[in-house]
Amino acid sequence: MTTAPEEDGALVARALRGNPDAFATLVERYDRAVYHLAYRTLQDSEEARDATQEAFFKAFRSLRTFKIGSKFSTWIFAITYHACCDRLNRRKRYAGSELPERADPSPGPEDQAIALDDARRLRAAVDALPEKYRTVITLFHLQGKQYEEIAEVLGLPLGTVKTHLFRAKEQLRKLLGEMEVS
Amino acid sequence: MYSDAYDPLDEAIAGLPLEEPPAGLRASILLATAYRPAPLFSLGEYVAMGAIAAIALWLIALVVMGGGTLFVHTIETIAGTSARTLSNGATLAWLAAGGATALWISLFTGFQPAAVLPKRSQPPPRR
Repeated sequence: MTTAPEEDGALVARALRGNPDAFATLVERYDRAVYHLAYRTLQDSEEARDATQEAFFKAFRSLRTFKIGSKFSTWIFAITYHACCDRLNRRKRYAGSELPERADPSPGPEDQAIALDDARRLRAAVDALPEKYRTVITLFHLQGKQYEEIAEVLGLPLGTVKTHLFRAKEQLRKLLGEMEVS
Repeated sequence: MYSDAYDPLDEAIAGLPLEEPPAGLRASILLATAYRPAPLFSLGEYVAMGAIAAIALWLIALVVMGGGTLFVHTIETIAGTSARTLSNGATLAWLAAGGATALWISLFTGFQPAAVLPKRSQPPPRR
């Protein structure tokens, strides 16, 4: 007989009572998704690694501020997203100029994608999206059609999230179409 | 503008595999959070050790500079001054008033003595 996995809220409550294994379970449950969000947002594996560590460290330090009853995934994604935003802002400051709206197209995911399978082509297209659309698509990937939660993570109105998602998908279709042609 | 109808692109996005985290990431997160090793000494213990070391150094310096006479004279002076101070009723009353005020303020600020602080591996207490 298998037991149902313990809910996140119960794990947080146990972690707050000083049980380290409870927080470890939360790390095991979400580290991959958190790293994925960081990597897709920052597009740099080293920075994504640091942002993931930072997010879990901040979550651990401020676990008492987590509202029991809300979703742990939304909370940790929001912390991760803010950590990524800080890093992107730092990058902008050090670069001395604005980041390009789009990832550098050369050598070009489009060019590389000819030989790729559908999933890798879709991934390359997602990577070629502007940062704000890339993040919303990544959260849509992680959270599904839970738009309110995506809005909470990004700190944006629900309507803006839906608009970003719509435009992101429009651009994705366009990019995928271009890849098909080439 | 936005529709919740079935979209094959949604399905394709949902089917994308998650990025594989680098090896050792989970272990380093756990070592920085839940399984963070407790420090050898607490802050209060470090302060006490520093104070003891400073006093010991000072006493050694006294012996080295002035020999036994200076050392004995200094200890006698300290002991005499302490005894005079602690036998003064007004000084004791002020000390008691200060201690009581500190205790009273601590009830409002949530200050806890080091002995009852949580272990380092536990999340910090809610303010």
